[in-house]
Amino acid sequence: MKIAIGGKGGSGKTTVAGTLARILAERGQRVVALDDDSNPNLAVTLGLAHGQAASLPAIPRDWLEEKPDGEGGTRLELKVPAEDFIERFGQPVGENLTLLVMGQPDHGGSG
Amino acid sequence: MRGVLRGLVSTTSRMTVVDLEAGLEHLSRGTARHVDTLLLVAEPYFKSLEAAQRSFTLAKDLGIGRISMVANKIRSSRDEATVREFAGRHEVTVAGIVPFDPAVVEADEQGAAVIDQRPEATSVAAIRRLADRLLTAA
Repeated sequence: MKIAIGGKGGSGKTTVAGTLARILAERGQRVVALDDDSNPNLAVTLGLAHGQAASLPAIPRDWLEEKPDGEGGTRLELKVPAEDFIERFGQPVGENLTLLVMGQPDHGGSG
Repeated sequence: MRGVLRGLVSTTSRMTVVDLEAGLEHLSRGTARHVDTLLLVAEPYFKSLEAAQRSFTLAKDLGIGRISMVANKIRSSRDEATVREFAGRHEVTVAGIVPFDPAVVEADEQGAAVIDQRPEATSVAAIRRLADRLLTAA
């Protein structure tokens, strides 16, 4: 199941998202929580302490490749399996849950 | 880069929970492509419900299979009725009713997770029921 959670700012969507991810993991699901908000604070509602929720490091260029996007341009895609990426760059939150924060505007594929 | 990460949602075998940008006008084809279930969190007042309704229409156009509302910060049966009436009128299902909960406010203030601070909180219990409903429906 691929769940996205939306709502107005202040609606409590991040509390719902973080708590839901924790509960699904408790229920034995392997879960990836993705923070797609440009003001990322999913980590807190997942239970990570301040500062423990490191943003994603720059992704090595050789993990990525350019593919045609079907509209005449190209887009970057992962060259490695998703699992490798999640284990390398994800922030573990307990046993079944991993956090990826993608709202970091300064990590545009360099490094 | 965000495109790369969104692509992960499709390719990983794991269950994924994506916390979207606030305000669903940001909901893009790129995100929608990778998602099969959209939960719209709304508070029981007109502006919030209207925003959810706009998002709902947009998400339907983008082809997301399952779209439900989660009513949050519900303080009374009247609040719940407001949300249910709205959802019924717009033919959206309500996947969860989460009560207003001081434990959430407290956890926010302390920069902690409500599920760690108060695992028995009423809001957490409501989200457990939501999780069960999602797992049963999957």
